[in-house]
Amino acid sequence: MRAFNAELSKLFSLPGIWLAFLIGAFAPAVIAALDSTAQKEKIIAGVSTRLSEVGYIGLALGVQGVIILGVLAVSSEYLTESSESGGGNQITTSLTVVPSRFHFLLAKAGAVTVISILLSIVAILTTVSATNLILGEYAPAFEASRLIGAVCYWIFTALLAFGITVLTKNGIIPLAVLMINSSVVTVSYLLTKVTKLAFYLPDKAGFDMFMFTSDSFHTPFTGGLIMFAWVAVLFIVAAIVFHRRDVTS
Amino acid sequence: MLTINNLVKHRGTQEILSGISFKARPGRVTGFLGPNGAGKSSTLRILLGLDHATSGSALINGKPFAELHNPLATVGAALDGFGAHRMRTGRAHLRWIARASGLSRSRVEEVLEIVGLTNVAGKRIGNYSLGMGRRLGMAAALLGDPKILVLDEPVNGLDPEGIRWIRTFLRERAESGNTVLLSSHLMGELEETVDDVVIINHGKIVANGSLKEVIGNHSTLEKAFFALTSENTGDVV
Repeated sequence: MRAFNAELSKLFSLPGIWLAFLIGAFAPAVIAALDSTAQKEKIIAGVSTRLSEVGYIGLALGVQGVIILGVLAVSSEYLTESSESGGGNQITTSLTVVPSRFHFLLAKAGAVTVISILLSIVAILTTVSATNLILGEYAPAFEASRLIGAVCYWIFTALLAFGITVLTKNGIIPLAVLMINSSVVTVSYLLTKVTKLAFYLPDKAGFDMFMFTSDSFHTPFTGGLIMFAWVAVLFIVAAIVFHRRDVTS
Repeated sequence: MLTINNLVKHRGTQEILSGISFKARPGRVTGFLGPNGAGKSSTLRILLGLDHATSGSALINGKPFAELHNPLATVGAALDGFGAHRMRTGRAHLRWIARASGLSRSRVEEVLEIVGLTNVAGKRIGNYSLGMGRRLGMAAALLGDPKILVLDEPVNGLDPEGIRWIRTFLRERAESGNTVLLSSHLMGELEETVDDVVIINHGKIVANGSLKEVIGNHSTLEKAFFALTSENTGDVV
């Protein structure tokens, strides 16, 4: 519990984390607002084919906030600098304070999970408000079960970013790959056009928890289970590698 | 008490430590000396559980680091570098460490006072000078008021006043019965600080004993050091 408190304290005292909060809280609302504006006429005319996605699209594409959170939680430990400016390397301090590496990793993942939950709740509030503001009486009713799915999607995404960064020790690659995949070019979506196996990729399977579209492949529960399995496997691999690795190497 | 017993460390095909053994005892300052790359930091990292040994053991009061119940209250460590994120303030850095060990915020202010960083505690660590960063590392090591201190190159980058402060401080710690192990490649600075000397070169211990024993017939520790390390280099070549 002490280690968990320390991890929360670390994250909140890092300026970069406020960027994650800012993006996490408002990016989904902005995306949802743009989409709602574009769809408004069709929705009012009753011909929109994407009514079930309205609003949720923001929560699906606006996960960058928690990606930054998950990456930063780990990459900040490994940040190194020239020896004149101290060399960074906070990980050496962290591991001399909490000697069990497994506890350390668990505490960190716990802190990321809790912040992701809070952030996703804020995002849901801003997104639902933005959608209602634009569509007024035409705004779809948001169902609790789908919103819970969106919260799970955010938590799992943060933990995937976290696990990948434990393996790479550097934030740039996971940040670039995950941010681009979640917003600009969805590689996993393109792959679904090639092979059905791509529906088992974590982000595609996770979408099915709350994005009910024509190309949904899994039930919300199965989708969630598949994404969770990815998270669990990645966490186990990361924990083993982290346990065996010398801090210097 | 710190006990290093027949420690071997391989990295790739290279042997970094070839079976080193020594002890650091309570009430004494033990100087761990050697040229850069001799294996000082590797030994300290294994002692602190950061790196894994290939074989042998490094024990703190008879236990490996990972088995210590509350490490910060047992052994305080300041390794090479600040061990801190540059965007955090000095105070915030010490606060998360205190939180991880269940220590109070007032203890943070105490150690800031001890190392003389109170005035800059609200500044970001990225703006600290090397000497200030060293003091921050010392502050972190002292948070849990441990009986054992392990310091990697503590005087490196300090101004003369800082060196003098470290020297007096470590002498006081040892005289009140604590164990102090410090590594350095600066002989002159150490001669007035240490009680026992362990000299390492190319991953092997080449001398181990009290300051007087190690100096032997040489006039200074520095001369003894060069005599011992150059002989050893000769052997290897």
